[in-house]
Amino acid sequence: MKRLMCVISASLLALSTLAHAAEKVTLGVSIPTATHSFTAGIVWWANEAKKELEKQHPDLKVIVKTASAAPEQANQLQDLLTVNKINALVVFPFESASLTKPVAQVKAKGVYVTVVDRGLTDTSAQDAYVAGDNTAFGKLPAEYLAKQFNGKGDIVVLRGIPTTLDNERFDAFNGVIKTHPDMKILDAKYGNWNRDDAFKVMQDYLTRFKHIDAVWAADDDMAVGVLKAISQAKRTDIKEVFGGAGAKGAVKTIMDGSNPLIKADVSYSPKFIYDAIKLTAEARLKGEKLPANTIIPSVLITKDNAKQFYFPDSPF
Amino acid sequence: MPLAPTETPRASLRWLGKLHAVGPLLGLLVLCVAGTLLNSDFATFDNMMNVLTRTAFIGIIAVGMTFVIMSGGIDLSVGSMAALIAGSMILLMNKLGTGTLAAHPVAVVGLGITLALVLGAVFGAIHGLLITRGRIEPFIVTLGTLGIFRAVLTWLADGGALTLENTLTDVYSPVYYGAVLGVPIPVWIFVLVALLGALLLNRTAFGRHVQAIGSNEQVARYAAIRVDLVKTLTHALLGLCVGIATLLYVPRLGSATPTTGLLWELEAIAAVVVGGTALKGGEGRVFGTVIGAILLSVISNILNLTSIISVYLNAAVQGGVIIVVAFLQRSRR
Amino acid sequence: MSLKIRFEQISKRFGPVEVLHEVSFGVAPGRIYGLLGENGAGKSTLMKILAGYEQASAGQLWVDDHAQTFTGPRQAEANGIVLIHQEFNLAEHLSIAQNIFLGHEIKRHGLLDDRAMHAATRHYLDQVGLSADPATPVRRLIVAEKQLVEIAKALSRNARLLIMDEPTATLTPGETERLFTLMRKLRADGVTLLYISHKLDEVERITDEIVVMRDGRFVTRAPTASVTRQQMANLMVGRDVSELFPPRLPPATDAPEVFAVNHLKVPGWMQDLSFSVRAGEILGFAGLVGAGRTEAFEAIIGLRARSGGDFAINGQPVRLNNPRAAMRHGLTYLSEDRKGKGLHVDLGLRQNLTLMTLERYAHPLLDVAAETAALTRAVHDFGIRTGDINSKARMLSGGNQQKLALAKFLHPDPKVVVLDEPTRGVDVGAKRDIYFLIQALAQQGRAVIVISSELLELIGLCHRVAVLRGGQLQTTLDADQLTEEALIGYATGTH
Repeated sequence: MKRLMCVISASLLALSTLAHAAEKVTLGVSIPTATHSFTAGIVWWANEAKKELEKQHPDLKVIVKTASAAPEQANQLQDLLTVNKINALVVFPFESASLTKPVAQVKAKGVYVTVVDRGLTDTSAQDAYVAGDNTAFGKLPAEYLAKQFNGKGDIVVLRGIPTTLDNERFDAFNGVIKTHPDMKILDAKYGNWNRDDAFKVMQDYLTRFKHIDAVWAADDDMAVGVLKAISQAKRTDIKEVFGGAGAKGAVKTIMDGSNPLIKADVSYSPKFIYDAIKLTAEARLKGEKLPANTIIPSVLITKDNAKQFYFPDSPF
Repeated sequence: MPLAPTETPRASLRWLGKLHAVGPLLGLLVLCVAGTLLNSDFATFDNMMNVLTRTAFIGIIAVGMTFVIMSGGIDLSVGSMAALIAGSMILLMNKLGTGTLAAHPVAVVGLGITLALVLGAVFGAIHGLLITRGRIEPFIVTLGTLGIFRAVLTWLADGGALTLENTLTDVYSPVYYGAVLGVPIPVWIFVLVALLGALLLNRTAFGRHVQAIGSNEQVARYAAIRVDLVKTLTHALLGLCVGIATLLYVPRLGSATPTTGLLWELEAIAAVVVGGTALKGGEGRVFGTVIGAILLSVISNILNLTSIISVYLNAAVQGGVIIVVAFLQRSRR
Repeated sequence: MSLKIRFEQISKRFGPVEVLHEVSFGVAPGRIYGLLGENGAGKSTLMKILAGYEQASAGQLWVDDHAQTFTGPRQAEANGIVLIHQEFNLAEHLSIAQNIFLGHEIKRHGLLDDRAMHAATRHYLDQVGLSADPATPVRRLIVAEKQLVEIAKALSRNARLLIMDEPTATLTPGETERLFTLMRKLRADGVTLLYISHKLDEVERITDEIVVMRDGRFVTRAPTASVTRQQMANLMVGRDVSELFPPRLPPATDAPEVFAVNHLKVPGWMQDLSFSVRAGEILGFAGLVGAGRTEAFEAIIGLRARSGGDFAINGQPVRLNNPRAAMRHGLTYLSEDRKGKGLHVDLGLRQNLTLMTLERYAHPLLDVAAETAALTRAVHDFGIRTGDINSKARMLSGGNQQKLALAKFLHPDPKVVVLDEPTRGVDVGAKRDIYFLIQALAQQGRAVIVISSELLELIGLCHRVAVLRGGQLQTTLDADQLTEEALIGYATGTH
């Protein structure tokens, strides 16, 4: 009997804390599942943020959900709203267009929405936007290569998968190269952000072009395939292979100076999901708002600053 | 009462019948001529070897796939299977290479290769048993394992890449990059697998049984053929081929990622069907499969060697060529 | 209600091969015609032209004195001409009503009117004497019932001329009798029937007049009553067909028992079956469709679950768990379903012949030369007529396919061979060849089991005939007791 009383009072206590929880922040995080190293980084950094922030703020609860396709993500948003009763959301949308409506519905229920990386087609569906800098992602390598080669040289380019993101990067790169009349882009083909495809494309570039000064692989994964193709063909004309995104392996290579072809990289770290969660959570706990747009700058990584970009525990 | 005369081939159709057999080869020759005209580097020995070497993976898998499709089955999981085998090999070799066998990198690589072959055959045999004993459609079984294999690899790799240790890479890389008599090792192995496959299909009781089952499973059953055993063996054989392809693939980049082997199943199936094997089973040629596989990689090679077509249209060109070749070798009704 | 047809100088060419040469004859309304001819005589082609499946290369078809050229079966149907195929054109997964109205569905407000279609279907089923629910899926029907559905379907299209290609090939005597009653009723209603059959006794019983074709030409026509069966056969073959059956040579009195079955039980099909067969003996199995004959033997070779029974070959108990084990012990079974279970029609003759015994030719590579030699021998021994030894099995006529199937199932050199409906869909010349072959097998000391629905075949060929009914052995009749009446009596339970 005594025991029963105990249980009852315990549950009453639980009820009262639940009632008090109205001021707590329940933050939903909706991101893609880990299917390649970049998204794996996103998942890792999101969970890293959850761990740290929940420890620091007892009033905060972070719920991380991953989805493997746009419709699944849309369903997940509804679940977060109705089941988990979130009052703040950080979302990395699969596609801009198809997720604009589902996100808008969440916002209409009074949830504070931060959108990461891919902007929605209707910006009124979001409270804040946090993104990496895709223009710098293309511009920095172009400027770097122009400087390295004194405004003269033949470059081959590997592109990712046909998307607006890829177009933004390529246009920025192309824009800079055009200002140097002696620099030439020999060709730009899709390597699908995939090592194997990059290997094949590079093999064929090597067959086709007898002289190449530099390769813009536009992705650290693709750079792996490119390097293998170059070493197989034993070509010595190529002086520089520029990847992109600042993957752990590439940053380490720059730090150690272990490959003469890899001297620089540009950051586009999945860590921005960490930043977005942290910014949103801390602002909401104080009842504040975020600026409408936050751009996490892309930075040129060289031997001098590589250490700041090396996270050995992250899968990326 | 069947009408025999309707089925005697008309003289005018005879040459078409022959075209049917050489269609893929004809398509390949036309493509090669076109490639040479578009870029004189196409016809160089180095480029040919590049193309053949990269065809080796899909080609070897497609030889195994020929048996499965001939027997009326299908396997959608080969790409994921290759990824998982590659990941498992790398994990095992890294563990052994930094542990007890650190002083014997060659032995480590040998064990890795053995693991690839055993895993492939075991995965294939599991498919076969689920299909024959479990009575589940091959499409469904392998669609299921397609997801399972890739998910397990992604989990093993934490979503990132599994990379082979440098010392091991140095020992292992000649398997992909080495050459005998100027011809890369993967090409030799591809040729060997194709020849053995053709011999097995055309000149052994097993091959005949495979064809009989694909042509009409019921008749084969009544003719005292061990249908379940033969079907299971075709899947195990395909698994073994995936293992061989993977052990050639790993030394190329020394890593496995969740995108390893993506869509290989479709490329392998396309090579088999473009090569003249009927998707419904019962009729097919290993030689055609080899031509089909080469044809598919020649298309993307030519597209990479030229820039006359917008890169956005690459896939459309590939699709078009596949349809034209399939048209050339379509079986007469 | 009735329809008059005249063929005038009809020729049909497939590429360089002319299969019909200026065929001319007329058909009067409200009669039953038997169309006779060996396989390849051109009967089916002529009927396909009449029903719109093929177009004549030359000549004219007259329907009720109007020149007609049908470009498709739908057009022929609109004129009241319907062909019922030997292999039915029914969608197995659809219901009877859905099949009958396939392509002619009754609609109300743009939606299917199932009630009306079911009512109409019941009406047509009554006409053909089939008491089944219109909603029954066709795959649940037995062959004879499917045939009735085909006829009901024809009636629903207002058929005035019905072409029936081998309608009784898969029917038991009782079912055949019911079909004949229906045919007579249709004739009384003014429907013209063209009846193609190899079974001359049936032609004699049901038709008013016969039309004989040979090698793509019209040979003759005559009132059925004026010709004997022997004359019909002679007209079809174009020469004198001597006795259809070989003389019956009894097995030696001391011939050993080769195969014995004790207390075989097959769930749903066979309650308790025991029999034995001696060397040199031909044992027949009679019974209606559904009596469990085929199912019993499929169970014996392990293709069907059995709940009891043991077997002995040459006195030794044997376990027959799958067709391979059966073959190893010297027992092979040739199915009644030649294209579905007996032969790979898409494979070559050689591949078919050696399929069961490939290990004999694999060392470990297959010895194609030895295989070809075996085929050459089989072609000679079994009298397989083929233009090209490298052709596919589907190129052969029905009779020659059956001979190839026989050669295939005898290639393992079995001690016991089970032949299920060995002459189904085979013309009279090939039939005779097969009967002589069967006798030769017995003479070689094999035990031969023949399952057949043709009573004359069982009577003419077998030393003993076991009659099954409803999953039970009714009796075993010796040669001197074999009559059609006795067989039908035991098979139907009216003895």
